[in-house]
Amino acid sequence: MTDGPLRGVRILDLTHVWAGPLAVRVLADLGAEVVKVEAPYGRGPRDPRESPIAGWLGGERGSDPWNRNAVFVKLMRNRRSLCLDLKTPDGRATFLELVGQADVVIENFSARAMPSLGLDYKTLRRANPRIVYVTLPGFGTHGPYRDRVAFGPTVEPLSGLTSVLGYGPDEPRCTAMALMDPIAALSAASAVLTALRRRAASGRGAYVELSLHEAGVAFSGPWLVDHQLGAHVGPVGNRHPGMAPHGVYPCAGDDAWVAVGCATDAHWRALCGVLDAGFDPAADRAARFAAHDTIDAAIAGWTRIHDKHTAATLLQAAGVPAGPVNTTPDMIADPQVRQRGFFVPLEDRTPVPGNPIHQPGSGSADWTPCPSLGADNQGVLAEWLGYPQARIRALEERGVLFDSPPG
Amino acid sequence: MADRVLEIGHFAAGFCGRLFARTGHEVVRLEYEDPAPGWASRTAGELFLHAGKRRIALRDRDLVGDLAARAQVVIVEASTADALAAWGFDDWPTPVKVALTPFGRTGPRRNWQATPHVILAMGGYTQLIGDPGRAPLSLPGHYLEFQAGHYAFIAASAARLAERPTAIDIGFYETLMSLSQFTTVQWHCMGEIRTRHGNEFWSVCPTNLYRLADGWVYVNVVPAFWDALTLFLDRPELTIDERFLTNDLRMQHRTALNEIVAGTLLPLTRSEVAARADAARVPAGVVQTFAEVLDDPHLADRDFWQHVCGPDGRVVRAPRLPWRIDHAPPEPVVLHPVEHTDD
Repeated sequence: MTDGPLRGVRILDLTHVWAGPLAVRVLADLGAEVVKVEAPYGRGPRDPRESPIAGWLGGERGSDPWNRNAVFVKLMRNRRSLCLDLKTPDGRATFLELVGQADVVIENFSARAMPSLGLDYKTLRRANPRIVYVTLPGFGTHGPYRDRVAFGPTVEPLSGLTSVLGYGPDEPRCTAMALMDPIAALSAASAVLTALRRRAASGRGAYVELSLHEAGVAFSGPWLVDHQLGAHVGPVGNRHPGMAPHGVYPCAGDDAWVAVGCATDAHWRALCGVLDAGFDPAADRAARFAAHDTIDAAIAGWTRIHDKHTAATLLQAAGVPAGPVNTTPDMIADPQVRQRGFFVPLEDRTPVPGNPIHQPGSGSADWTPCPSLGADNQGVLAEWLGYPQARIRALEERGVLFDSPPG
Repeated sequence: MADRVLEIGHFAAGFCGRLFARTGHEVVRLEYEDPAPGWASRTAGELFLHAGKRRIALRDRDLVGDLAARAQVVIVEASTADALAAWGFDDWPTPVKVALTPFGRTGPRRNWQATPHVILAMGGYTQLIGDPGRAPLSLPGHYLEFQAGHYAFIAASAARLAERPTAIDIGFYETLMSLSQFTTVQWHCMGEIRTRHGNEFWSVCPTNLYRLADGWVYVNVVPAFWDALTLFLDRPELTIDERFLTNDLRMQHRTALNEIVAGTLLPLTRSEVAARADAARVPAGVVQTFAEVLDDPHLADRDFWQHVCGPDGRVVRAPRLPWRIDHAPPEPVVLHPVEHTDD
């Protein structure tokens, strides 16, 4: 949003894949002025025979496929694109000039990448002593795992989460969604805000380091403390150590399920009224845990005769926490989601998730879609650095600036 | 400049307050009812979330407005939109107010009852975890609440940076949907509804959780890592096996390939596999228990643990904030006892 609280904060975005771009999207949605400094080959598969993982925007590869990778586009709204080759001396020099005009530089390369480009923190700080530099390598910039290849799904098992997720002790499961990335993303956005507030008070820039690994492990905090207190934790399927009943139950239809959880005695009493199966509405939590199998069977017997949306609605009407196990089309069609305008048809009519931070005066009405590659080369260099047209053209001719992948 | 932050609520508000407390702000937490059931013991939850905060037992809810008036930021987590309003949230003069509710303050489901498990189901996560043909699995732990707490911290910090008074509405449901990987665009652009695929990845092979002699390892081989994988497995002949020359072919022969990888890895230990992965530069991660995470040499080398002293004098290790500014080491923190006063 152009009038968001971060209006006037200038960010140079060197991020890629998921964690970094998501962090920057959150900040961009809040009004930061973000310039994505990107390489000409960074937007998707280089092999023309390959398709990106979630397809092409609008379902069409088009004549400019590098601008139509749906996963990339989903993360890149509210930014400007500067396609600059940092491996060239002119590209590096131009980038350092931009750093002089920026508030934040953020990247999630491997630990070796920025030093190898001659763009380590000391160099950036010389260009701008007030710069907030955020680095987000998979395992950080030092330590025994520093040079390991880090993908969200391979970092996840190291966090401890996989040891408690599964159908049972011998059937561990992964989350199937690279969970470390969105955790690291919001950690990084939080870190940027912390460093900016610190700078506002002290005038000092900052070196900020975080890692995909540590962000993920931080979310295991209560379990890690509990282990030191003597607790043993293992996978419990769909049950919960403090709620009963708690499960995912089959409904009428193909692969249709409803989630039900009783956190309080009042929820249980309400559930007893719906099931009408002879359970004691006054049963306390311990009694419900003892009878969990029997209760599960009764719930499943009731849910099987309803579709998942009806089951959830009937349970909610009685005061029982319940919700359908939604697929994507379910979510997009949900009246709650529609009324709050959460999905935004910003990118070629493709609905993309919005920003969960609602506040007066904010909204998506003035959001801008993902820019095409290098769309803002001239605008950014002219506005931020005062480059004349001739200088920009010379950079294009020397292979420093691009608006499409070469060749 | 440090803010005074008033925190009311459970795991989401508690996590947000933890971020404020660890970044130098004064956090006052109101304890007003039994905590929501957590995934760890109540003591563990308090040591992790509430160290460094002042905790006050609230006897009279009418006093909350006075406390809110003395704060720069107030974070309230409530079970529904109406429960939030019942606190008097809209009347408080606090410059920055953040409401955390399951579905947000507006919309037809604003007063639906929800546990995190319900929101995980509605927000598209549960549908993806587990095996095809079996019940989907809900995500254990406090991911949902902690991510909502993150958003609350981000929103409040941005407002304070801009010195803008505001009231912020954050729903857990939208929090989750905003953090979807690519399911929404995949449906719209490819017409595919993503569903469960166990520990495999539907479009890249081999990617799976493989059993080892002493545990499990997750291997995630995108096409660029295929040659490295054959070195990792010490099976160089696979590079010229016509069944596996491309990812498309590997997908066609995934059962055979999974059997080869599983059979090769099964006799190996986790430490052997980790060493091989490091040497071959293959993306692989062994499954660690919480005991092993606490002993992880990388985390120790990086000063990851923060000492937390409980009211009984016992000291435990908890994760520090995942970010560090200017390499500052984590300082020990204390979990203060709850003050039973209305002052």
